[in-house]
Amino acid sequence: MFHAKKPSTMNSHDRPMCVQGDSGLVLTTDPKPRLRWTVELHERFVDAVTQLGGPDKATPKTIMRVMGVKGLTLYHLKSHLQKFRLGKQPHKEFNDHSVKDGDRVTAATSLELQRNSASSSGMIGRNMNEMQMEVQRRLHEQLEVQRHLQLRIEAQGKYMQTILEKACQTLGGEENMALPARTFKGIGNQGGLIPDISAAFKEFGTPPLSFSSFQDLNICGGHDQQLELHAQSSMGERSSSFDGFMNLGNTTDHNLTLGKKRPSPYSSNGGNSNGKSPFMWSDDFRLQELGVATAAALGPNNEDDHQIIQMERSCNPELDSVSDLYESKPILQEEKKCDAKLERPSPRRAAQISSLSAQGGRSSVFGELLSWQDGKVTDGGERPE
Amino acid sequence: MAMMVDETIPDFDYYGSLSTTTTTTTATTTTSSSENDHDHGCTWNDWSPVLDWGAFSGGDNFQDLIESMIQGHNSTGGVNVNFHPSVNYFWKSISSEDSAGLIEEDYLEDSNNNQSADINGLKLVHLLMAAAEALSGVNKSRELARVILVRLKELASPNGATNMERLAAHFTDALQALLDGAASGTLHAKHMFSPNYKDEQHQGDVLAAFQLLQDMSPFVKFGHFTANQAILESVAHDRRVHIVDYDIMEGIQWASLMQAFVSRKDGPPTPHLRITALSRSGSGRRSFGTVQETGRRLTAFAASIGQPFSFHHCRLDSDETFKPTNLKLVRGEALIINCMLHLPHFSYRASDSVASFLSGSKNLNPRLVTLVEEEIRPIGEEEGFVGRFMDTLHHYSALYDSLEAGFPLQSRARTLVERVFLRPHITGSLARIYRVREEDERYSWGEWLGAVGFCKSNISFANHCQAKLLLGLFNDGYRVEEIGTNKLVLGWKSRRLFSASIWNTTDTDL
Repeated sequence: MFHAKKPSTMNSHDRPMCVQGDSGLVLTTDPKPRLRWTVELHERFVDAVTQLGGPDKATPKTIMRVMGVKGLTLYHLKSHLQKFRLGKQPHKEFNDHSVKDGDRVTAATSLELQRNSASSSGMIGRNMNEMQMEVQRRLHEQLEVQRHLQLRIEAQGKYMQTILEKACQTLGGEENMALPARTFKGIGNQGGLIPDISAAFKEFGTPPLSFSSFQDLNICGGHDQQLELHAQSSMGERSSSFDGFMNLGNTTDHNLTLGKKRPSPYSSNGGNSNGKSPFMWSDDFRLQELGVATAAALGPNNEDDHQIIQMERSCNPELDSVSDLYESKPILQEEKKCDAKLERPSPRRAAQISSLSAQGGRSSVFGELLSWQDGKVTDGGERPE
Repeated sequence: MAMMVDETIPDFDYYGSLSTTTTTTTATTTTSSSENDHDHGCTWNDWSPVLDWGAFSGGDNFQDLIESMIQGHNSTGGVNVNFHPSVNYFWKSISSEDSAGLIEEDYLEDSNNNQSADINGLKLVHLLMAAAEALSGVNKSRELARVILVRLKELASPNGATNMERLAAHFTDALQALLDGAASGTLHAKHMFSPNYKDEQHQGDVLAAFQLLQDMSPFVKFGHFTANQAILESVAHDRRVHIVDYDIMEGIQWASLMQAFVSRKDGPPTPHLRITALSRSGSGRRSFGTVQETGRRLTAFAASIGQPFSFHHCRLDSDETFKPTNLKLVRGEALIINCMLHLPHFSYRASDSVASFLSGSKNLNPRLVTLVEEEIRPIGEEEGFVGRFMDTLHHYSALYDSLEAGFPLQSRARTLVERVFLRPHITGSLARIYRVREEDERYSWGEWLGAVGFCKSNISFANHCQAKLLLGLFNDGYRVEEIGTNKLVLGWKSRRLFSASIWNTTDTDL
């Protein structure tokens, strides 16, 4: 709802015409007349609210009584009070909007800035040019902030990745050294915890913010096969947790929709709308994650699969190579870069994934993965050193 | 069952009003159908007509109420709901979907299921409040508390389906710990901090929960980014920066700062960054590894992006007093003090330790002090333990709700985060508020800084803007407010949760 900041008599921009009724209220002349919260009316509202002890204490009914404006109904006041409480400002916070697409956000915020600057510090009387310049400046600054924010979030994602990899390797290393006696049953009081963490990640089949590649883990290579695979091993659930959070660390940065035009599958309520594009580009990264886990667990003595060796090479513990993958460039460039690294066009890669997962959990990557995970279940005593 | 309920029931002040709506729903829950006689499906409207208070009189009905709650059905015909003001405030804020329930008709038109869930939720709240009362104040009665906790354990499980149920389960366990501690007379310092479930938890769990926490909620990023932006602005023209970090944990805050330094356009090119992290001797193993490991990780990360960097760590004694002389300072560097507290994945730090750190750093004349803490509502003396208890319940219920609102389908993930992080916090919080005497004030560290002589430093437009944009990446319902020029507060709906504030030691804003 756009609040007019000028008196109703000055209608210099193309807003719907307003009429001022006998009661002193400004209504629009749309087919459905709506109340215009003018500056004066809003000021009276704020006075009434402060008189009543603040927005949390005031109620529409009491406000109505105190304001004493004819024609003002409870409905008007209720919604205005709600907005007031939320923002404590004469304009609505833009994160209340449900649009998350970067461009729309920018447009919404430019409106907000315009309102903001128009209402603040009595600029009403000033030159239009000055106002516009101010708005432009703020808008520009905001775009800068937006860009920086994205880079910073990506940096955090990269760093998180290093933590997860390290943990993965350390725990993998410990496992290789030895715990033949450890079985799923030997978990003791950890038994209750396993389903938690693994189930937690399995749940993100329809990723809201940044788990698309985990979904791919389930989807590509054949959804059923994958799940079956996991079900076969008693530790099946456990393995997906590691894949899960490896993927998570990886994809956090890539799923931002800040300013990017992408068919956003990530609706704000975690809905089930997985578009095609994340599937495709996150493909690459998932392989790398598998590679990391694999490398940690197996060493280079796996099947002679070009894919896997590539993955290992690209995912050795040295951070240089890992961070190379995550330059702060737009997503598309990263895709291409990874294509080059892995030297396989996309369809074949998909086929690779299928074959990997289809190998049924015995001598395959996944099988090894599972057996590695098998003994991974430890008590709380192990720590990376 | 024997219940020892004192006859001297404290007077409850009514504050909201209840409209008596009769619900004609058929019960779809396991409670007996006589539950429908209650008007638990109430609209907590301030502006409903003045109702007949005669129906709500009678403090002697408290015993019946407790009995009915414990036995799961209403033994009397009428409704006896004498609500403590905290319950009103609490229930009102969480019972409506939209902000503060201003749009009135929704509640009445809720589906049957919602109403039953709310009925159960309300029952849990009542029981929790009754247990809290039984543990403190004039009517202290351990037997009653024990009985109520038993009932609560039947009704609420940590893996329950609804937020309220899981929340109630964690609170129940925390109360149980209080009860046991009080009984054995060993409510000592150990209980005041989280019994370190986190340390006993599997490292994989903690890491996974941490990743989930960051992805599902903006709390961690909000704290880190707000602090970092303030730091960036204050050292815009410096070549050397030294940050003293009170609790570095896994070090992720500095990843984005380094990235920002490396891509700095105005002023001198990438400054040299030095980070000194404090480490504590007695804290035991933490799931994110030792401070040295964090240092190694940060060093490697810095190398990978081309940030000149060095890492030091400063050990605190076992009493955790901070001695500024232990720090190595270099002339010409801009000194920043960074103090992150109370974020969900953090362990609690004793207030003596924090105080010692902050006051010690004042002597160092830092360029900037960044502080992130949880935002608490000041509670008056008269509300006592129960008031604080209800406020804590409100706080955590807002946290749980915020996670659920964003990820309604991923209940297992949320349960994991709740179990790993929020549960130890709850236990610790309750132990602390139980132990504190009622005349002690609850103050925030921000207030403390102000009192000790730090000056407020303005939050910039860019910083506020960044916070809003960050929230835009998450589900609706979060909001950020700028309070008092130097503080941004992140809240969920009407509940303030975390605040990030910046301070310096001189009056001029550098």
